[in-house]
Order: sequence, then C-alpha cells, then structure tokens
Amino acid sequence: MYGLEDVESSHDVLVIGAGCAGMRAAIEAHDAGAEVALVSKLHPTRSHSGAARGGINAALGNAGADSPDEHAADTVKGSDYLGDQDAIELFCAEAPGDIYQLERWGALFDRDAEGRLAQRPFGAAGTPRTIHAADVTGHVLLQLLYEQLLARGIRVYEEYFAWRLVLDDGGCQGVLAWDLARGGVRALAAKAVILATGGSGRVYKGSSNAHACTADGMAMALRAGLPLEDLEFVQFHPTTLFPSGLLVTEAVRGEGGYLLNSGGERFMRHYAPEAMELASRDVVSRAEQTEIDEGRSLGGSLLLDMRHFGREKMLERFHGTRDLALTYARIDPLERPIPVRPGAHYHMGGVATDIDGRTEIENVFAAGEVACVSLHGANRLGGNSLMETIVFGRRAGRAAAEQALGKSGSPELKPSERSDGEREIATLLERREGERPKAIRDQLGASMHENFGVFREEAKMRRQLELLDDLRERYQQVLVEDKGEVWNSDLTQALELGFQLDLAVCMVSAGLERRESRGAHSRPGDYPERDDQNFLKHSLVRWADDWVDLSWKPVRITKWQPRRRAY
Amino acid sequence: MAAAEARVLMQVRLQIERSDPASGETRLQLFELELRREATLLDCLEQIKDELDGTLAFRRSCREGICGSCAVRIDGRTALACRTPMAELVAGGRIPVIAPIGNLAVVRDLVVEMEPMWQKMRAVEPFLRPTSEPPGDGRETVVPPARLEAVRKEALCINCGACVSECDAMAVSPEFLGPHALAKAWRLVGDPREEENAPRLKGLSGEHGIWECTRCYLCNERCPKGVDPRDAIAKLGAEAFAAGVTRDRGARHASWFVTSARTTGWLRESELVVKTLGIAVSVTKIPLALRLFRRGKAPLPLPRHKARELEPARELRRIVAGQDRRGARGIVQGERVLARIELVRAPEQSLPEAEDF
Amino acid sequence: MRRIAYYKGCLAGLSARELDSSTRALAPKLGLELVELENVTCCGAGDIQTADPDYALHLNARILSEAERAGLDTILTVCNVCTLNLRQAARQLADDELRSRVNENLERSGARTYSGGVEVTHLLWLIARGEGLARLKEIAVKKLDGLRVAPFYGCQLLRPSKLMGFEDPDQPSSLEAVIEACGAEPVDYPAKTLCCGFPILLAREKTSLAELARPLEQALEAGAEAMVTSCPLCHLSLDAWQKSLERTRRKKLGLPIFHLSQMIALAAGLEPAQLELSRHVVSMGPLLARLESPLGGER
Repeated sequence: MYGLEDVESSHDVLVIGAGCAGMRAAIEAHDAGAEVALVSKLHPTRSHSGAARGGINAALGNAGADSPDEHAADTVKGSDYLGDQDAIELFCAEAPGDIYQLERWGALFDRDAEGRLAQRPFGAAGTPRTIHAADVTGHVLLQLLYEQLLARGIRVYEEYFAWRLVLDDGGCQGVLAWDLARGGVRALAAKAVILATGGSGRVYKGSSNAHACTADGMAMALRAGLPLEDLEFVQFHPTTLFPSGLLVTEAVRGEGGYLLNSGGERFMRHYAPEAMELASRDVVSRAEQTEIDEGRSLGGSLLLDMRHFGREKMLERFHGTRDLALTYARIDPLERPIPVRPGAHYHMGGVATDIDGRTEIENVFAAGEVACVSLHGANRLGGNSLMETIVFGRRAGRAAAEQALGKSGSPELKPSERSDGEREIATLLERREGERPKAIRDQLGASMHENFGVFREEAKMRRQLELLDDLRERYQQVLVEDKGEVWNSDLTQALELGFQLDLAVCMVSAGLERRESRGAHSRPGDYPERDDQNFLKHSLVRWADDWVDLSWKPVRITKWQPRRRAY
Repeated sequence: MAAAEARVLMQVRLQIERSDPASGETRLQLFELELRREATLLDCLEQIKDELDGTLAFRRSCREGICGSCAVRIDGRTALACRTPMAELVAGGRIPVIAPIGNLAVVRDLVVEMEPMWQKMRAVEPFLRPTSEPPGDGRETVVPPARLEAVRKEALCINCGACVSECDAMAVSPEFLGPHALAKAWRLVGDPREEENAPRLKGLSGEHGIWECTRCYLCNERCPKGVDPRDAIAKLGAEAFAAGVTRDRGARHASWFVTSARTTGWLRESELVVKTLGIAVSVTKIPLALRLFRRGKAPLPLPRHKARELEPARELRRIVAGQDRRGARGIVQGERVLARIELVRAPEQSLPEAEDF
Repeated sequence: MRRIAYYKGCLAGLSARELDSSTRALAPKLGLELVELENVTCCGAGDIQTADPDYALHLNARILSEAERAGLDTILTVCNVCTLNLRQAARQLADDELRSRVNENLERSGARTYSGGVEVTHLLWLIARGEGLARLKEIAVKKLDGLRVAPFYGCQLLRPSKLMGFEDPDQPSSLEAVIEACGAEPVDYPAKTLCCGFPILLAREKTSLAELARPLEQALEAGAEAMVTSCPLCHLSLDAWQKSLERTRRKKLGLPIFHLSQMIALAAGLEPAQLELSRHVVSMGPLLARLESPLGGER
C-alpha cells in the first residue's frame, strides 16, 4: 500500500468539478464540518455553469400564486412522467429555501418593483417562477459561489485533470489527476468523492456546450463499474445559434420571441397551439426538426424573431443575447430574426444517484448534470438545471461530509491503480505514430447527430453502434503530438475523447432498447407512441470489460399518474 | 437556400508567440491555413492545434465570451480570442501577431500564470458580509431595484484578465491591486446589503490601492464585457469620500480640486502640493518649486486667480450636497445613458451557407 | 472667421499660461475667433469626478450652458482631460431625466440651464483632418526644417474611445499629420499612447515617474529633438518634472516639450516671444537656435 507520502494530499471530501454543483457541494461539506477540496480541470469560474442564461426555478410566489406542488406538477409533466416524483417533490419543496440562501450570500438577482426577487415565465411552467439576473443568471451564480468558496478558504486543485477513480474493496480511495501546470500524475486521496463534472454535449458536433463538456465524470463512473441511468435522454435545445451552436436563451421565447419557418409562419401553432413557443423544449425541438425535415427551413435553420421587443427591452434584458447574435451570426436582432436550430444541450441521464447524491459505491456521490436522480426524467424544464446544481449539490455535499466525518482512519491508494494510471498516460505520450484526435472527434460528433439526434430509429442506432466500434478501435491508436510536461492540453484532450467514445456507446445502447417515444427520446419511425405499460422505467447501463450491460429500474410515483402530455 | 454549395473559405496567415517553458526562449511562429469566413481567432487556434501543431498551448472553453479563458494579445491589444472574427484581423493581407497577455508571467505559449491575479482578488475579500439580520419571514432581503444599479456593470466581470493585461500602473508598479480586483471590490462596496463600507474602503486605500490608479483608461477600453473598471475605481474613491476615508494623499489631492472650484473656480495650483503632501513632505519639494518658480510656473497664492461669477459654483455645491446623490451615486446616475452609446451596427450579411453536421 | 467657444481650463490660465497665449496668437491664423467662456470653473480634472461626482457633473453642465448662452455650438479645448470630462458630461446630459434635474439645480444656483447639443472638440481634432489640415498646411509658411518631433498623445484624448472616438486609440495619427504639416518629421516610439503618470504625480510619485520615464527615454532613443503634446497636464509632467526624473533614473534627458499650439504657431511664423517658450523648464533655447540658423542646423 502506498502511504500518504505518495499522494499529493488527503481530504475528507474531494469534489471533482468546480461549477455550480461542485462549488455548492464543497461549500456545504465545509459548513458541515468536513475538510474539503475541489479538483477542477478549469479555474472554477471558467465552468460551463456560467453559460446558463435563462434563470433558476423556485416556487417563491412573487409573480403570482404558486406552490412547490405546482412546480412539481410542471416538472413531472415536463419529464414525460419518467422523473422520480419523490425526488421532484423534495426538489421543489427545498428550492425556495435555497434561493433565499443564495440571495443572502449576495446573489445579484433582478428585482421587481417591490424589491422582491423577480420571476419570469419560462418553458412549460404554469406560473412565472424563473428567478434571473438579466440574461446571465448562470454567470452570476458561478461568480457568487466562487466568492463563497473564497470566503471559506476552500482549497482548489486548479487545472488538475481528474481522469480515474481509484477503487478497492473499501470503496473509492480517491482520484488520479494529471497536473496540467507542471505535468505529472497526482494521486488525491479522500474519504468521500463527489462527482460534479457536468455534461456531455461535446459528444455531438452541434452543441451549445463548451469545449470542456466531455463527459469526464460519467466515463470515470462507468469505468469504475457504476451504473448510469437514462443515458438515452439528451435534450436538444431548440434555439442554438446557427452555425456555432451557441445557446440563445429560452428567456427570449419566455418574454415573447417568435419562431418562424421559411414561410414566415409561427409554426408552433401546429404542434403546441396553447403554449406556442413556450412549449417544452423537446416539443419545440421536434417541431423544428420536422419543419427542417419537411423542407420549411432556411438552410437547416428556423428563425427566432425579437424585432418587436424594441430597443429598451432588448438592451435592458437581452444585451447578452444581442451581443451573441452580433458577434457570431453578424446579425442585429433589433433588425432581423436570427437563425437557430436544435443543438445538443443537456444530458438528462447520468450517474444513478438517490436524493442525497449517493451512488452504488458507498463513498462516491454525484450531483448536477453528471448525475441522474432522476429529477428531469425524459425531458428537463428550463431553469430546473441551475436549481438542480444547488439543491443536489448541497445535499450531496452534506451527505458526503457526514459520511466522511463518520469514518475513521485514512484512505489508502492501491499501488497498482496508480501505476496503471501512469502507464496509461505513458502509452499515450510515447506513441510516435497514429491518428490525430480531430477526425475521430468530428466523425463521432457528426454521426451522433445523424444517427442519434432529435429523431431516432432502430437501423440508424445499430449503424451508430458499428460506427462507434470502429471509432473506438481507431482511438486505440490516437496520437498525442505534444510530448511536453508543462501545460499539455493535447494529452488531456485525447483523454477527453476517450471519455466521450465510451459514453456514446452506452447512450446509443440504451436508446436502442427503449422501444417507445418519450420526452427527448423520439422514434417517430418505429415506435412513435409513449408506452407506459412497458417502459415506465429507467434504463441502467453498466460497463464491464467493454460490454454494455443494460438493466432497468422502476420510476418512483407519488402523486401524478402518467397522462397524455400536450401543451 | 441550397445546402450543397461549398462553404466560403479564406486564406489566413498569423504569427504566434511561442515559448519553451524549460529554457524560457521565445520565438514567433508563422502559420498559414484556410478557414471558414465566420471563423474566430479561437477557431483558428483550434484548427492549428488539431491539424498543424498539436503542441500549441492556449486556454479556452466556452467559445462565446463568457468563461474568460482565452484572453490574448493581438498586435499588442488584449482581446478574447473567441470574440475576435478572423476576417477583420486579416483584412488587407495583414498578418496579426498573437501573444500572451501582459503583466502576468508566461507559462507556455499563450498560457500565463494567473495566480497573482487571483491573489489580488482574494486580497479584497470579495464576498458579501450582509449588514442586516436575515429577514424574519425567511424570505429575501427586500432591495429596491434602483439600489442594485450601482453594481450592475461590475457583475458582468468574467475574470478574463484583459484589464490586468493592459493596466499601465501595474506595468510599472506590479503590486498595484489593479482594475480587476478593484472592480470586484466595488461589487461589494456598492452592494446595498453591505452598508458599513468604511472598513473595506480603508483597506482599499493603501499604497497600492485605489489611489495608485493612473487613470489611463486602458482597462475601460479593453474590457470585453463593458465592466469599465476605471469607473469602478472612481466609484470606490467617491464612496471613500462619502464615508470619510480621505487621509490618503490621493484623496487630499482630489479634495483640493473641490475646494478650489467652490472658492475661486479655477484650481489653486500654488497650494496643491502642500495640500496634497502636507507641509513636512512639501519641504522636500522646495528645489523643484524653485525651479518652477524661476520659470514662472509656480504661481504665488496671491493674488488669487479667480473665475468670474463664482456664486453659482458655490451654491451648486450646497445644493447637490443635499440631494441624495452623494458618493458613487453621482457616477451611477449617468451609467445607463453612457452604456447606450455603443450601438454597433452589424454589417449586412446574408445567412451563411447551411452546414451538414 | 469662425466664432468658437474657448474653454482653456485651469493650467492654461495659470502655470501653463504659455499654452493660452500661443493659442490666442495662433487662432486668427486658423480662422478662429475665440470667444472665451468666463463664467466657468475647473472641469474637475477627474479629481472632482471622484471626490464629488455629482458636483463635477453640474460644473461641466454649467460650462456647456455658457457656450449655449453665447450662441455657440462648439467648445474648443486645449487639454486632454477637459475634453474627456466635458464630453462625458455632455453624453450623460443626453438623458432627459438627469438633465432635467441638473437644470433645476443650475437655475436655483443662479446659473443658466443647458438644453443639449454642444459639441466639444480639442484643437488637435480641428486641425488634423479635412479643412482644418488644409488650412494648417497653408499657414505653415516657416517649415520646421525637418525637426524630429515625437508626438505624445497621452491617455484621455484617446480613451475611452466610445466617448472620444476621433481616431483609433491604438494607432492614432492626428499628431503625426500635424507635425508633418508643420514641416517637421514625426518620430515613432511605443509609449506615445501610454500614460505620463500626471494624475498620480503627487499621490504616488514613484509609480508616476516610472510611467513618465517611458515616453521621454523612448523618444530620445528614437532620435527625437523635441516632443509635442496636446495636454498641459502631460506637459507639466514631461517638462517641469523632467529634471526630477533625470535624478531618479540617473539619465540625462533634456528633451524640450512643445504645447501643440506653440509648435504650430512657430511653423506659422509667429515669434517665439509671443509663445512664451521661455516659461518651459527644459529650455527651448538650443532648439530655437537650430531653427533660426541660416545653415539649417546640423542633424
């Protein structure tokens, strides 16, 4: 056994990922009395949480009568009845308290005329309940949580690329990380580990996600033998800017933006006559994809029209959006509608957890987009994701802290694990001939759109699994050109590609087996209807010796029986 | 719109400053490649790394100007690579030089050591210490929206370091707290939920604090988010006055301009040195003063150089003092209208050609 | 003759009197009738903008209102800092609510109100392009004999460019155009758009002088025989503090500094005495001798 001198350091709780979920977890673990540290491949405020624009949901009741129950009902319906209702009820009940806590810490939320937290309408919400900070809510929360991190002096292993969980019979002992700044494998030991590494959008070529969203934690969990839940459910955000994939916030629709097809028609009236542009994201994405497939798009895009907002409202509430359109589409939304199309945005699926972020491994937790509680079921409501990072980040932080504090002794790292890790890195670095990652990455992204996009069908999914096999084989010879020690992002990017390939196989495998259409998993060609009889259940994928092992678990229902979902 | 048309490409050349972490040697490397017309500088760097030179080191993540990772110097000017369209950079056959940002040590290529910047941020204790008790009903503290105006711009800061890179005072005085840390500090001082500002302001009025800012406006010029750090520093100064934290020479200097305006209209130059530095230190400036005096550049305090019609200038001071625009509010009141100046008109563009994934 | 409001600012009225006298002497040649604003005060210099910003706004509103009262739509400035402060105030006063409040106060204090629309322009902007430049070339009869002059822009005439906006703040060329029109040769060096350090000269002398060193040393190294600046505050640092800098840096400098008006006036054939060049701390003597020399002077 390696003693502690062979490790970088040892902590009670180690949080991997320093976005909103990771930081909220660390803060809570600290406040619960545990000695906690964060590991992040980015400086915390670079995390993708900062790109969230729309807002954060809680039933405060500031903009009209509201209740956690209504919030829960909207969420359950939005999930197409796949969400676990006990988790949803708990989430909606605790959300207001969490908002007030954030405000107490100094969150710069917008206020209404009475000085209370303003709440705006958002997709598929019955009552306006989305709290926001102009159109940069994620950014504001990210900065706020970083401030609170600093206030507590919590240590961050910054630009440490965690890529491997270290396990033994006693559970997880810590993580191996590549030190980007200086080079070298570092072993970080902990009594409890929380995965908060975010999503997997980069598996798709057209994605709203940052470069960093490469499914790191999901793949680490898979390789550690943990089951991943509902991987087939990927949310395609209906308004990603063309061609960059950048997110145009749902708030635009929430505050009156129109979606038009090539004929200038507000086509949503054919798909969701009551909610129109404010129908749930999966409904809108499918509507758009249909318009595209049936030839009523403009070169593959639809148009988002904000011209009727006027200067005042645009500059007041949507300066970020306007800026985006000017810079990346070179269009002024005050004058012309902007081209948008569905892009991979959020992964409902992830590491299976309970309501305290616990996984099957006793001392491994997960929270945020990396996890699947399941809060969002088959489709997520806008504004619920930021709230998820806070509620479940907090709960996982507390649960992990309590567990770590209840443990005596110190974590020990198995020497073979560490040398395995070093060998893996060495293999990559020493390889002199092979294929550069780009072609593999591009083909992964393009094929996932083609064969596992908004609409799916059996033949395409099978084809995709074959393609992925081929790509994974090519990946065995991936070439890292940079052999240096200091700041070698060529190496870390190659590791990220490996994560994505493994995850993609599991995603498609799960998708193939879900023979129904539900939420974001849409199979209009072969299984167009929702099948509650056979598929009101969560898929579970385990990865063992390169095989995908699929099983199922039931959905937890408390109050709401599945009904037909229409907007 | 025909999806099958070829995408418009452009040929670009650029030079990138590379460095070897071991030897510290730097060199300029020329790259030549073909890019899509809408490509940003970041797209260009990514393509270089993917296809031409995998050893190129640079930070990036969001590619939409929100994470703050990719600040670089382009022909000496700091900007976010992901918000810089390549087409404009290379217009007219120009070959831009891309270099790491300034005032921070280079780690490798375009990656700099950010720790000193984080350290300065930590030094200002950038987290809220609410003055009042939490509301009894367990809900939010009620804050009139107008009160949050004061920190609206500073809240936009993404920690990209462009201001730090350009800061002229920091270039000659590396310990200067700088525009980033001070803008963060204002975000707290200006927050209405923290009402007792004097302790913070005292801490920010040290040797390398508020009063070391040289007012070069480079930070305002470069900030990609419109934070205007110089204005945040001015707001800190204004609040320092409102809170009576005015012992610093910089504050005394500024005070004398106010006194001059309301007594003689024009600056009472002859007394400026003494009023700023105090008698003791001013004595050391006597050789300088004599030198100036010989040229007629050190005017005597008497007769007073007065402006005409002084009464309104005096009255105005009295009037505005009682109008609840003390301190930073005097600056904040003009911010919204200033923010609207920059209404950039986008060029007429047709939709880019469709892209098949 | 174009009638234009003239706001000279604090220093030109006192320690930099030579800036005022040379501007007045030059004005008729440029076709300008200067209408000096007298019922005005200091513009705040950036200092009142910090110490009492609401007061600073009102003082600047008053200056603008005085131009309006004189029936003039443009104020001519000869100082970077005045230009920035007045332009910033003018922009802020475009807000109806704010202007309305300020006007109420102006009225109460016995001053005149301001309705908007006064343009503020620095002398440099007037003569660096178009008609102004053409006029300048016409009047520059006594060419400055290829004198190598380093332009110093400083900060506040260029930045923030959204308020100033006359030219590219990083690659300005107005001073070079003027130098050339005067028959002199512009000298390029990196620090011409950096800070001279004046605002913190007294409060943070060490930092200030470290900034000041750059334009002076770089210009000399690039072969400059003189420097020209558009700002009397920069001039004070560059000229009056040059000897202090020499002592701190242990380097001989001796670079004479022109105010913009003086350089142009010389090129236009005005007598040095009219321009009060003897008021400069770093002597203009040798330079003038070189220009007067029938042999054209050695390089």
